[in-house]
Amino acid sequence: MKNLNTLLVGIFLAVALPFGALVISSQVQLGSLGRAPAEEGGPLFPSREPGLAIQGRAVYVSLGCVSCHTQQVRPAGQGSDIARGYGARSSVARDYAQQGQVLLGDRRIGPDLANFGVRAKTLAAVHTAIQHNGQFAFLYAGAKQEVASERAVALAAYLQSLRQDYSSPEAKLKQ
Amino acid sequence: MTQENRSGRPQGRPPESDSRPTRTEAMLRGPFLLFFVSAVIWLLAASVLGVIASLQQGSPAGGPFRGCEILTYGHVAAAQHNLFVYGWGFNAFFALNLWLLSQLGRFELRNGWLATLGGTVWNLALTYGVVQIFAGNQTGFGLLEFPREVGPVLAVAFLLAGFWPIVAFARRPTGHTFASQWFVVGASFAFPLTYLLAQLLILWQPASGVVQAIAHSWFVSNLLLLWFGASALAAVYYFLPKVLGRTISAYYLAPVGFWTFFLFASWTGPAALIGAPVPLWLQSVGVVAGAMLIVPVIVTAINFHGTLSSEGGWSRAWNDTTLRFVSFGAVAFTIFGVLNAVFGFRGTNAVVRFTSFAAGQEQLLVYAFATMVLFGAAYFVLPRLTGSLWPSAKLVHLHFWATALGAVVSCAALLVGGWEGGKQLADASVSFQQVAKAGSSWNVALSVSAVLLLVGHIAFALNAFGMILKSSAPASAGRHD
Repeated sequence: MKNLNTLLVGIFLAVALPFGALVISSQVQLGSLGRAPAEEGGPLFPSREPGLAIQGRAVYVSLGCVSCHTQQVRPAGQGSDIARGYGARSSVARDYAQQGQVLLGDRRIGPDLANFGVRAKTLAAVHTAIQHNGQFAFLYAGAKQEVASERAVALAAYLQSLRQDYSSPEAKLKQ
Repeated sequence: MTQENRSGRPQGRPPESDSRPTRTEAMLRGPFLLFFVSAVIWLLAASVLGVIASLQQGSPAGGPFRGCEILTYGHVAAAQHNLFVYGWGFNAFFALNLWLLSQLGRFELRNGWLATLGGTVWNLALTYGVVQIFAGNQTGFGLLEFPREVGPVLAVAFLLAGFWPIVAFARRPTGHTFASQWFVVGASFAFPLTYLLAQLLILWQPASGVVQAIAHSWFVSNLLLLWFGASALAAVYYFLPKVLGRTISAYYLAPVGFWTFFLFASWTGPAALIGAPVPLWLQSVGVVAGAMLIVPVIVTAINFHGTLSSEGGWSRAWNDTTLRFVSFGAVAFTIFGVLNAVFGFRGTNAVVRFTSFAAGQEQLLVYAFATMVLFGAAYFVLPRLTGSLWPSAKLVHLHFWATALGAVVSCAALLVGGWEGGKQLADASVSFQQVAKAGSSWNVALSVSAVLLLVGHIAFALNAFGMILKSSAPASAGRHD
């Protein structure tokens, strides 16, 4: 305690060991995850993201949507996510392997969006959801807010791309 | 304040110091006041944004400023969070940590201009970052929202502004050390390390997929526990024995508390990812570390509450402005530690996950604990540095009652509201809208507490700025209790 070096080495280890064990080792475990078929010869999932969806994610980040919306479905037994219809199965790490930025979120002031693309049946429904009763009117133009700006179009494409409704090796859908 | 010299274990209390401002204090007056004044300005800004954010959160239609892009909730909440943490929390602890270790190590800050430069750069980078958040240029990672070019600047500014406590520790004239010194050295060293690694893996060379979220959870737990927690613990270890004029009870446990705190704190991050698509072993490590964190919480509880409980300590603490705030904070830390252990477990966590509960735990740690301790410290240090009295005793009272009440109401609203909302959400037949509607009374409480906090902070700022402005003539130190 009297020796600065002992103190600094101890603190360094206290910070660096968890970093190695938690962050680096999970990068080793998960870093090579890619698209994979649920069964041999099946289609590869998750799908590649459309370019417009990638632009839409930038809008999502810029507006701070993550402060109210999560994008993760917990397993059955931990909360009511699946029963509530947020997803048919729990989210797994592979679902996010294609995403340049992962926006899991930690607060649900609004509903979860991990499968928003599955839930929203039409494009009009997506735009209605984005408007939040007029809070996000600045993304639209026209007398009835019927003209979507470029950002709104990209954001809608991103939200429609959010879907975890496929089987993957770690999480099979129940038939 | 009593200063009688009583015999006891000499290592259980900070060394006696002059009741008049010392030479070391005269040397750090400039940087200290820069840090302190900017901290209070950011605190006021964050409190105003806090009121706006609480109104927006409580209203499905978006509250005031609906349809205004700059003041959309995602911007206001991020700016408020960052201003409170990096503007208030860091500036204030730069000032307090520097003062504490200069006092304990009789350190004369000869290169004060470096600290001043660091503080200036820190605040300029912060201003730029917040403007960028409002302009829609944020990263989406909580407490790392500033655009990535701000990170390296803040890191350099931290080294200039926040590294002096370690220098003060290295240059202390005696071999003797006190608990406050370990905690401040730990905080000042752990933060830049954490910040640089997190910046690198989250913003500059993003890790793949959910590893970003894992790195982020590690960063946030380190920031909150190892910077706010450790710095504020250092202050409690100093002010309790100092103002009461007695030794810390069971001081021999303090090293155990220190090392277990640093040993477990940095592993607790993944506890914020329970149920998330990350490996199960990782979540379990976080849960176990969170439970183990009860060890330093118990040690500090024995140290603090033991010291306060003997010989009428509580009533004396109540009658001293500094100790009233500091002991409020000490109690808040114990409550935080217990909640952290209980609600880390999978079963209880599943109920409160994604509700306001986590925000309530953070509020308990950074506001009810760290901020209240900082206020108490200001009432002790500022009169010594400025050589004048607090202008208004009424404002001191208003400050205490508004912030104490605001802290209790906001923590209760976030924690109890989160728990109740979580229990309703567990039943899938209750719709999300119904749960939101049922929680609206908690949102009203949250708005009331935000206004209370703003009022308290304005009272504090008026008093403190008034004192600093009239302190041009160095007079004998005085305290206004």
